[in-house]
Amino acid sequence: MPYYRCAIPKDALSFEQRQEIARAFTDIHCGSTGAPRSFVSVAFFETEPGADAAAAHPTPYYVDGANRAGRSAAVKQQLLSDLTDAFGRIAGVAPERVSGRITENPASWTMEGGFVLPEPGQEGPEWYAAVAAAAD
Amino acid sequence: MPAPQITFNCTIQEGMIPDALRPRLAAELARITTDIIGGDPDAVAVHYIEIPYGFGFRGGHLSTTSAVRGEIPPGCDQDTRVRLMRQIQDMWMELTGCTTDELVVSARDRRA
Repeated sequence: MPYYRCAIPKDALSFEQRQEIARAFTDIHCGSTGAPRSFVSVAFFETEPGADAAAAHPTPYYVDGANRAGRSAAVKQQLLSDLTDAFGRIAGVAPERVSGRITENPASWTMEGGFVLPEPGQEGPEWYAAVAAAAD
Repeated sequence: MPAPQITFNCTIQEGMIPDALRPRLAAELARITTDIIGGDPDAVAVHYIEIPYGFGFRGGHLSTTSAVRGEIPPGCDQDTRVRLMRQIQDMWMELTGCTTDELVVSARDRRA
């Protein structure tokens, strides 16, 4: 966690664009929250015109984020705004064609890198050290 | 067959989990979950979502991570939830050979 699922039209983005978006999302998320970079997952799902997944979203490009609960509404709104701005810029699509949402679950419901996630703001130096050691 | 009371959505990266292994992983998810929180193994649904190569990233790099996301009945205490996630983690690592850094396990309350 976080996990960002990006719905995109089929064949709309190159590998290089997808990778640049994934890197931008990692930079933005970690810059905003202090999360370890290795925890940021980004996946792209192509949608066919008229398919259920495409019809389920209000815009052709949609960022569906799942984060730990506990951040303020202002932080979440800024994070989503920064993510969709970066997405539109890298994908080369107009802002009105990109939207998204961030849903939340308690951190204690997820185990990652062998550890139950701490709540936002509760990550002590020991946790960061343990995460880094697990990633080596 | 009873309606699923527990659901797992397993998001995996193309080429990481062989097709032949998936039924066993599903059976083990059902066994572990019902051993710990009860219920009928036939009421555990397991779905695989495979991310094509080049479409999944972690930390800005191509991902090799599997995400095993469970939805369980509400009301599970935290110690039980952690035991469930830990046993799933241990099983998945043993059968797939992945590392702790290549696995995310969650057990969230099923939404009404």
